[in-house]
Amino acid sequence: MNIRIRHLALAFIVLYAVLFMQLNRWQIFGRDALVSDPRNNRVTIKSFNATRGPIITADGVVIADTVKVDTTLNPNDRFQFQRQYPTGDLFANISGYYTLGFGATQLERTYTDILSGRDPRQQINSVGDLFTNADLSGSVHLTLRHDLQKVAEQALADREGSAVVLDPRTGAVLAMYSNPTFDPNEVAQHNGTAASKVLNALQDDPRQPLLANAYQERYMPGSAFKVLTTAIGIETGTLNMLSTFEQADKWVPPNTDNPIQNYGKKICGGDLAEVFRRSCNIPFAQAAVVLGPQVITDGLAKFGLEKTIPFDLPGATASTFGGTAQSFEDSLALLAIHGFGQGSVQMVPLHMAAIAGAVANGGVMMTPHVVADTRTHDDVVLERTQPTAWTTPMTQATAKTMTQLMIGVVDNGTASCCLNLKNGVQAAAKTGTAQLNAEGKKQRSHAWIIAFAPAQAPRVAVAVMLKGVNDTISAGTGGKLAGPVAENLLNAALTVIP
Amino acid sequence: MQIQPTIANARRNTELGLVVLAAAITSGAYVLASLGKNASIPARIGPFMAFVVVLLILAHIVVRLIARGADPLLLPVAALLHGIGFVMIARLSDRLAGLQATWTLVAIGAFVVTLLAVERVNDLQRYQFTALAIGVGLLLMPMVPGLGFTSGGARIWVNIGPMNFQPGEFAKIALAVFFAGYLSERSELIVQGERTIGPFTLPALRHLLPVVVAWGASVVVMVGQRDLGSSLLFFTLFVVMLWIATEKTSYLVIGTALFAAGAVVAYQMFDHVQSRVEIWFNPWNSYTTKGYQPIQAVFALATGGVSGTGLGLGDPGAIPAAHNDFIFAAIGEELGLLGGVAVLTAFVLLVGAGLRSALRADRTFDKLLATGLTTILGVQAFIIIGGVIRVVPLTGVTLPFMSYGGSSLVANYVLLALLLRISDSTSRRLNEVPDSPTLAEHFAIRRARKEALSAQISG
Repeated sequence: MNIRIRHLALAFIVLYAVLFMQLNRWQIFGRDALVSDPRNNRVTIKSFNATRGPIITADGVVIADTVKVDTTLNPNDRFQFQRQYPTGDLFANISGYYTLGFGATQLERTYTDILSGRDPRQQINSVGDLFTNADLSGSVHLTLRHDLQKVAEQALADREGSAVVLDPRTGAVLAMYSNPTFDPNEVAQHNGTAASKVLNALQDDPRQPLLANAYQERYMPGSAFKVLTTAIGIETGTLNMLSTFEQADKWVPPNTDNPIQNYGKKICGGDLAEVFRRSCNIPFAQAAVVLGPQVITDGLAKFGLEKTIPFDLPGATASTFGGTAQSFEDSLALLAIHGFGQGSVQMVPLHMAAIAGAVANGGVMMTPHVVADTRTHDDVVLERTQPTAWTTPMTQATAKTMTQLMIGVVDNGTASCCLNLKNGVQAAAKTGTAQLNAEGKKQRSHAWIIAFAPAQAPRVAVAVMLKGVNDTISAGTGGKLAGPVAENLLNAALTVIP
Repeated sequence: MQIQPTIANARRNTELGLVVLAAAITSGAYVLASLGKNASIPARIGPFMAFVVVLLILAHIVVRLIARGADPLLLPVAALLHGIGFVMIARLSDRLAGLQATWTLVAIGAFVVTLLAVERVNDLQRYQFTALAIGVGLLLMPMVPGLGFTSGGARIWVNIGPMNFQPGEFAKIALAVFFAGYLSERSELIVQGERTIGPFTLPALRHLLPVVVAWGASVVVMVGQRDLGSSLLFFTLFVVMLWIATEKTSYLVIGTALFAAGAVVAYQMFDHVQSRVEIWFNPWNSYTTKGYQPIQAVFALATGGVSGTGLGLGDPGAIPAAHNDFIFAAIGEELGLLGGVAVLTAFVLLVGAGLRSALRADRTFDKLLATGLTTILGVQAFIIIGGVIRVVPLTGVTLPFMSYGGSSLVANYVLLALLLRISDSTSRRLNEVPDSPTLAEHFAIRRARKEALSAQISG
């Protein structure tokens, strides 16, 4: 009988050894996969019971922070802290949201470790605090300014579109507002049913408020694109200030019978400065054809087209010329149309601001960024964004010539109505009216302007784009509609940016 | 020959040392859990520690007085498991902690009463059929209309007055007593009456009948009550005890084959068996519904890792029933692999001490009862831990000494007292400790002396 009991003991040891091995499977070998499983919301839940640092604008306004849940008001809330966005929808596309059940987006996602204090550097700094339950949450400080963002919001009013203001010398984005937007507070509420209802409605909204049209979408640029065609022409020696174009209201490009016309079917011609400030179409169509597909696409590659914008917000998209050099070889007519920004050219508004910035900055396009620095709980800087050049699409001489051309647009061209800055500061600009529909269909056009100031020593560059979703916008031009928005932004920015 | 009580004293002093250690670990864990959860030393730490220490020391003193030859490991290991379980319950819910504290009081009381009532373990052998009746009666109780009720999908509860309890927890002890008594007397008859049919050797049904009836009834009743875990436990108990008693490995093989057949039939007959097996194989398919609990458990274990989040610093409340069937996952989260392995080791030690008592026992009944009771403990812990960490399909039974629940705690302390009593009885019979008279014998002696005295006077 004792032998059987010993066998039984052995059997128990085997059974418990199996338990031990399985326990290792969950707690050691399979651990990483389980902890990072998307269905595992323990990390999120844990962080909703801990503080999370703020996101703060350059002028000191908190756009995201964490408050203690008032359990007397919300008795059903099982978490200690509520993430909130004091500026509502103003910075929604920059901060993103941080939710219980729907993950996090934008800065809330990419900087989540620093905000919640999980970055290794925050841990190392706090070894001494090991026993005091220290708050390790860090903060993210932006280059964006609340005051300028507010100006952009008010200038756009209820019109769909976006406004981007940046410092051309560093690439620091000073304001970037996209309309439509949304209120991240409604998505971040702890009541999962209500939050999910809000999020579903936002996802189903045809205007796509969850996508920032300033950097996550791209639009036909219209004549604003002539800045690129002209710069490439000057850069390659094909165009200069002495280039002249004959007066014409029609021009038939190669490989087609359909003539190209100027905006409003006007007769238009003259030297480069004149056709640039009046924004004739035919000269730039001709220039594009003369330059040829290879030179144009090479030049545009130096402007950063076809490449995702190197940006410190997730989901930035790429501007596109709408075809390869090869594809335009067979259809020079299309190349001609694309040469003045029509057809399938699509530019990201942020990219257009950076292009204005490149002209302003002596031909060097700085990498755009919104984060100035990240800090520990004790305000010790963890990482400061160093300005870097993204690309150099033109020489300093070309940039100087481009500046002259763009000053002409402000002084007696398509933007002369609307860019008279305070204190007589000289601005430089290029407008665009992107015609979306073919002739005969309902008129729809985006209104664009890119600009910088002061023209002699630029400190601020802007791009404004108003989406052609209704008759009011579609009836106007880039100069008349987008011009005043740019004027407001430049005036406001120049007073605060030294 | 006069026996020196040296061995008894050594065992009891070892027990005292380990009990104090268990109390210290429990109190320390209680403070840590409170620090982790509320960042403060618990307000009632003084009364709590006094409560724990007084109860454990009381249990120890009773053992020292009336079971001084008993194995010194059983009580401290059980106390440690109980203490860690209690800290985890207290960390999950203040309300349940208060109730569990009351049940602790009752359980220690039951432990003392069992030791007092069963002074010589072979006394129980006489009551084997009473035990059978009690066992079957307890099992049937939840089926009685107006008395039994269903909770958590299983009709295993009974309501008497203000109290709810699970009679099955006590039935398992009663049936172990019956099996041990019956088999110790008849195992030879069973083996001798074997007949060979083809390649199979079958026991004489006549002698085995009561055992088969008891087992069959219990399994059928529990399947009817949808209590799969207890069915599995009773089946294992029956097969193991039959195997040990007859020393016939063929019974183990036949028993396992019967179990396999029964499992297949049950799988095909019952939806809830099918869904349990499906969840076991792939809980991810039903992550939001039936698979939620086991997956939360492995998430909790993964969160714990090797060293755990620390007591009070995890989120074990995210696992449904973390205080009850899933308490092992909560421990794995906050105490990590190290804590989980410590719990596994404690159960192995408990099983080891129980089987050591069985090995040392010189009477068949004692051997069988010790084996049966230990099997209940070891298998029940295996079934629920294995279910939580997905070694076997999940079937709801409590984790002995650790899970929240009065019936389970009280029953397991009764079981523990019986194991202590078996090892104590053996020590006395082996003359390791003085075989001092029992209380009943004291009274008998006193009465006899009085009678002798009065006879003298009158004579």
